[in-house]
Amino acid sequence: MDMEVSRSWREPELWVKALPSVILQTTCFLAPLVMTFLLTFQKTQNFQLNWTWNLATWTDVFSKPHYWTILGHTLAMAVACVVVCIVVAFPIAYGLATRFKRLDNEIKVLITFAFITDATLKTFGWVLFLDKKGAANYLLAHLGLPPDTVAFLFTDWATLLGMVYNLLPFAIFTIYLSIDNIDRSLILAAYDAGAGKFRAFWEVTLPLSRPGIWAGSVLIFLLGVGVFLEPKVLGGGKSPMSAELIRQTFETRVNWPLGAALTLVLMVVAIFVVLLFSRVAGMRRAGA
Amino acid sequence: MTAAPILSITDVHKSYGTYPALKGVSLDVRPGEFIALVGPSGCGKTTLLKQVAGFEDTTSGTIRIEGQDMAGVPAALRPTSMVFQKLALFPHMTVAQNIGFPLKLRKVAPNVIATRVDDMIRLMELKPEYLKRYPKALSGGEQQRVALARSMISSPKLLLLDEPLSALDVKLKKVLQAELKRLHRSVGVTFVHVTHDLEEAMMLADRICVMRAGKILQLGEPADIYYRPADPFVAGFIGETNLMPITITGHNADHVTYTSNEIVDMQGSLPAALVAADVGQGPALMNVRPELIRRCDRDADVDCKLAATVTEVFTKGGTVQYRARSKHGLELAIEIQGTSHLPMQLGEDVWLGWAKKDMWVLKPGEA
Amino acid sequence: MNHRFENALANVILYGSMAAVLVFFYVPIFTLIAFSFQEGRFLTLPFDGISLKWYGALFKSGPALNALWNSTLIATFATIIATIIGTMAAIVAVRYRFRGKRAFQGLAGAPLAFPQLLLGIVLLLWFSVLGRWFGFNTGIVTAIIGHIVYIAPFAMVIVAVQVYNFDPVLEDAARDCGASTWEVYRHVTIPLLWPGIFSAAIFAFLLSWGNFYITYSLAGSTRTIPTFIFSGIAVGSSPLYPAIATVVFVPGILLVILANRLRIRAAAVS
Repeated sequence: MDMEVSRSWREPELWVKALPSVILQTTCFLAPLVMTFLLTFQKTQNFQLNWTWNLATWTDVFSKPHYWTILGHTLAMAVACVVVCIVVAFPIAYGLATRFKRLDNEIKVLITFAFITDATLKTFGWVLFLDKKGAANYLLAHLGLPPDTVAFLFTDWATLLGMVYNLLPFAIFTIYLSIDNIDRSLILAAYDAGAGKFRAFWEVTLPLSRPGIWAGSVLIFLLGVGVFLEPKVLGGGKSPMSAELIRQTFETRVNWPLGAALTLVLMVVAIFVVLLFSRVAGMRRAGA
Repeated sequence: MTAAPILSITDVHKSYGTYPALKGVSLDVRPGEFIALVGPSGCGKTTLLKQVAGFEDTTSGTIRIEGQDMAGVPAALRPTSMVFQKLALFPHMTVAQNIGFPLKLRKVAPNVIATRVDDMIRLMELKPEYLKRYPKALSGGEQQRVALARSMISSPKLLLLDEPLSALDVKLKKVLQAELKRLHRSVGVTFVHVTHDLEEAMMLADRICVMRAGKILQLGEPADIYYRPADPFVAGFIGETNLMPITITGHNADHVTYTSNEIVDMQGSLPAALVAADVGQGPALMNVRPELIRRCDRDADVDCKLAATVTEVFTKGGTVQYRARSKHGLELAIEIQGTSHLPMQLGEDVWLGWAKKDMWVLKPGEA
Repeated sequence: MNHRFENALANVILYGSMAAVLVFFYVPIFTLIAFSFQEGRFLTLPFDGISLKWYGALFKSGPALNALWNSTLIATFATIIATIIGTMAAIVAVRYRFRGKRAFQGLAGAPLAFPQLLLGIVLLLWFSVLGRWFGFNTGIVTAIIGHIVYIAPFAMVIVAVQVYNFDPVLEDAARDCGASTWEVYRHVTIPLLWPGIFSAAIFAFLLSWGNFYITYSLAGSTRTIPTFIFSGIAVGSSPLYPAIATVVFVPGILLVILANRLRIRAAAVS
């Protein structure tokens, strides 16, 4: 773009503005990650950290199937969450981008507010709603339905609901951006060529919104593998996910090296899955 | 008569990485003149302007304003003012604040600023009630005037204009072109105007500088460039023209002898004054503008003539343009002020003639 | 005929799903607000009565007020610092071309996609180890730092949108008028970027205010509103917590509306 101007690192205009971010993220993001990696090679003894170098932690990690089933469960939940989020977000984002001209500001405010409030508050609200003696059952009972109709609190379904609830706005946002960027005249050209609304949507809009769908999917997946609020509160802690396992490892068992190792395993696997899928998606695009 | 140049550009080179934007440009601008830099896109005219303004520095070469070397002097401190292509009016300031901005930066007293802004408003023929409005509320032409006012308020030595009229529609452009001319006459500031519109340059400028691929091809008054272009590119760039191949056979102080396989010339020679200095023996090009060619009879007593067949007829309002092809495949363009009776018909075989004083011989080169 | 049917069907799907999702989003929020009016001690239906007594209790509750104060304190510092860092990074990321730009963009933006809890844990490890060596504990300061790491990328993205719409020729024009670097920022750049910066600040504040995972890991024994509520859910909560929630919602929605107004105004100016 014409906008970019060249600057070198010697010019204060550049480094004064860029360095704070660089320093911040290097010292408080990269360095901690490196430290985490190093920690996996240490030992704890009597709740104290010993700086020895060994592979005990890693043998532990790779020998206990328990950790891997939890990881598998976590990945499955994250994928399910992605699918549901994308399916639900798409019509919302599409509607927001192409219709609702008069109300679109109000809707954006409502969605933003719902997004930005405390996750704990909202999850708490869900508990109150879904509980056996909660709002949902109360209202349904008044309508004549048997009590305890809504009984899926403390199950994986409730966890999924919570995850979708908290991560949906990300998908709405990314898909909205890519649909908003589609050149209207492309769709008009499709109509002109004889396509009906659904056909034009299928052939033009949908393919062009792929970047947004992809970005949203990646974001939701990566964030979804790290949730522990929803599984603990809405899922009742009965079906633990990796994040909860990691938390326990740190807090209850005070086994930092193990916790560090599990954290790294989670991140590496998650990124690997993303890369794998991007390869698959990329190949499809190349062939198309 | 020749005062010291107000702007002196000496052998300026500019490269962006490995890309050479300017390859040794030298130019002296006289105080108070209106000079236009024209050329196709990528020729370096805007780059040169930016270097004069101080937004970029040269890779080598010097730029002097009023004799002072501008190397290392930032744009803010130079006695130049620029009118940008996109106008660059501050959207968050009113018209008055925009115009007064340069003075505000110089810490001029507010009441003095107000008076000067009023002067500018009057000079630019803008309505006083616009002072409180924001640029967004003004039309394109009015915004243009505000931009000019802002550039002039600090009494710059050089006004640099970067294709300021290129985004306007034809009618508005004509109005503002006249404005610029009027402004230049009344204020007397030196104008350096970059444009790709040659008509504009011919209309407004005292001198025109034709550039191409980082070099200056020709610098001179509009008529000079039009009738005596330095090379085929300038000839074609300035306007539609006819370049006919001839062969120079002899050269002396008064005359140049030549031959041509098409042009019928009883004398076979041309006045040396109408031949460019760098033309030697061998192939050359005879340049004749379309409006200076007329239909003639086969036996007419004109200086030069040749035979051709009319291939196209275009009517452009008051003038008619013809295309014709000679026996040897030379494509010609002829322009005749319209009459109710077309002197040539499509497909007709005609003889075309012109006077020697109306032609110019130049060296062949890249067109 | 076919087209009209398609149109109608499309509209039903779009409007219907929008309405459904909006309802979905506000179910827990309204539930919380409703429960804050419960008179009795327990959060079960039917209500013992409707009253505002728990709002009163809220203002007398030491821990709740303490949490409120901590939340505000952390959010204020985190907002100011993260917004400044993010704004500068946005200008660099959008406007300049330099060696290592991709790396810079990746580094400055990475925490966005990183699961918060893991970020909190990784930072906790880091600060714990450092704390062992330099002798400090996790607490408000580490929470603030953690918030900044997480929030600065958000601020960067929001301001970047504004920078993208900002034509750099305006800065050139200012310099041509005679402005020094500082004057350019003061008179042109900052005033024009201000709506974006302010929006980013509002988002930063809300993100910090409502942040759970990072505070949970890094605040040590200090409580903020989200961690306070979390402990409440675990223990056996009373309508005190919904009351807090409702109290917290009010500034939240106001700020979001304000941010939206700014966004509209920013779009109108450019």
